[in-house]
Amino acid sequence: MALLELRDVNAFYGRIQALRKVNLEVDKGEVVALIGSNGAGKTTTLRTISGLMHPAGGSIHFDGRDITQTGPSKIVELGISQSPEGRRLFPRMTVVDNLFMGAYTRNDKPGITADMDRVFTLFPRLKERRTQIAGTLSGGEQQMLAMGRAMMARPKVLMLDEPSLGLAPILIETIFSIVREINAQGVPVLLVEQNASKALEVAHRAYVLETGSIVKTGTGKELLASEDVQKAYLGI
Amino acid sequence: MVDFGFYIICGAAVVLLATQAVSNPTAFVQITVFGLADGAMYALVALGYTMVYGIIELINFAHGDVFTLGGYISAAILGFFAINEGSFTAVNLIAIVLVFPVVMLIMGGINITIERVAYRPLRNAPRLAPLITAIGMSFVLEGIMFLWHGPATVHFPDILPHGPQFQTTIGGVFVTFKDGFVMVTAVVLVTLLAIFINRTKLGKAMRATAQDRDAAQLMGININRTIAATFFIGALLAGAGGMIWGLYFNNLFYNLGFRTGLVAFTSAVFGGIGNIPGAAIGGVLIGLIAAYSDSYIGSKWTEVVIFGILIGVLVLRPTGLLGMRVPEK
Repeated sequence: MALLELRDVNAFYGRIQALRKVNLEVDKGEVVALIGSNGAGKTTTLRTISGLMHPAGGSIHFDGRDITQTGPSKIVELGISQSPEGRRLFPRMTVVDNLFMGAYTRNDKPGITADMDRVFTLFPRLKERRTQIAGTLSGGEQQMLAMGRAMMARPKVLMLDEPSLGLAPILIETIFSIVREINAQGVPVLLVEQNASKALEVAHRAYVLETGSIVKTGTGKELLASEDVQKAYLGI
Repeated sequence: MVDFGFYIICGAAVVLLATQAVSNPTAFVQITVFGLADGAMYALVALGYTMVYGIIELINFAHGDVFTLGGYISAAILGFFAINEGSFTAVNLIAIVLVFPVVMLIMGGINITIERVAYRPLRNAPRLAPLITAIGMSFVLEGIMFLWHGPATVHFPDILPHGPQFQTTIGGVFVTFKDGFVMVTAVVLVTLLAIFINRTKLGKAMRATAQDRDAAQLMGININRTIAATFFIGALLAGAGGMIWGLYFNNLFYNLGFRTGLVAFTSAVFGGIGNIPGAAIGGVLIGLIAAYSDSYIGSKWTEVVIFGILIGVLVLRPTGLLGMRVPEK
């Protein structure tokens, strides 16, 4: 069984079905991309995994446990953390306090300090701005902080929702190279992106989501080469 | 542009007060002392309003009654001690030191229960629903106090040091031990709150939840526990406020919390609802404004002045004095 496994997951907002029998796996060491257009259900998929909403049908397993109905705080404790869409930092708290909040479920002080150093190594900009109020950071810095905050949970799976959204091209390069680096340190990443070409370049495997259903899956390379994907998402 | 009107009114008020201060400085300082003592108590109650609003956007109308009930309960517990109202004894001191934390914890427990019963089940209901249960809780608490001691004023034992040897005149200004006691206690409590909110893990989790509840959940913060903690801490301050009020004025009545609560709520709005330092500052300012209004305009106009401020702030500067522009989500 894979580390994280969604089986036939259905999800609804009221009477509107947002996910239809979604099957998805993330295994140790992988970067898995979930691509698709606006409203396809990418963020909903992450919300069901992190327990912010529960599937109406199907199951979610993580690390051998059924987490279909588990609450969000327990899921963070089990080892899934998320950098949400739109970053969702705590805008009136400092960079350091935002990072501390990321480690909320942990009590090992030395481990937290070590991880904060690790985040600062990954994002030297954050170290420079450690006492700055998060709401006053630039867009790129905010994205780095959101990712760093998610890393502070010492996750077994890291979920990144639209990390490149609204960033300048040069920053997008930086963000994706950091995704690679995080993965190289052994953290599996579930990457949700509209920027399909970038996402497929870093991903080992990828899923294409369309109006709530997975319509295509394969390795990053396969999907990059696929004609449908090129037409629909890569603008080639 | 709207801020302009706000500044004009503030400016006019300051000029008028300055004229009074220059023409009779002694009286002005005297009134300021009274205002600071009242304001310290309003601040303690206002903090509970603003913290609860900050975290769940509910105006907890029962909060003023939690404050009064704190006074009632502390009076009852003080009855178990051999206190002496004539002069200040060691028993008085011990009673005060012991009853403060006890009544604070009791009120904290009561407020957590109120949240659990009246607000949590409506967490995802339309905003109006918990507002109505809050008003309902206010009536329930007032009803309990009415059944307990009836409609008349309840005597609160006068056990703080008082009498001629505990008052003094500094440069024509009359100051009592009680004035100092109220201000010092309030400053100590607000300082402890500030340390808690800014330094502890739970305090930070409360701020995080207030700033973005979904994101707080994604950090693994237990929202229910954090919200309960907010009610608990708000009630610690309100309970202490009720006891301080009793010790200062030596009387309470069952619906004292209605007016005091509204004044404290006005303080919270004045300082910027949801903003913790704002509530403390707003409380002190409203206390001062009430005292100036009592003396310079006439006490029958004071409520008009205070609630005029509430309306004025809501119209001209809804974010209050320290309110920050919150980015639209």
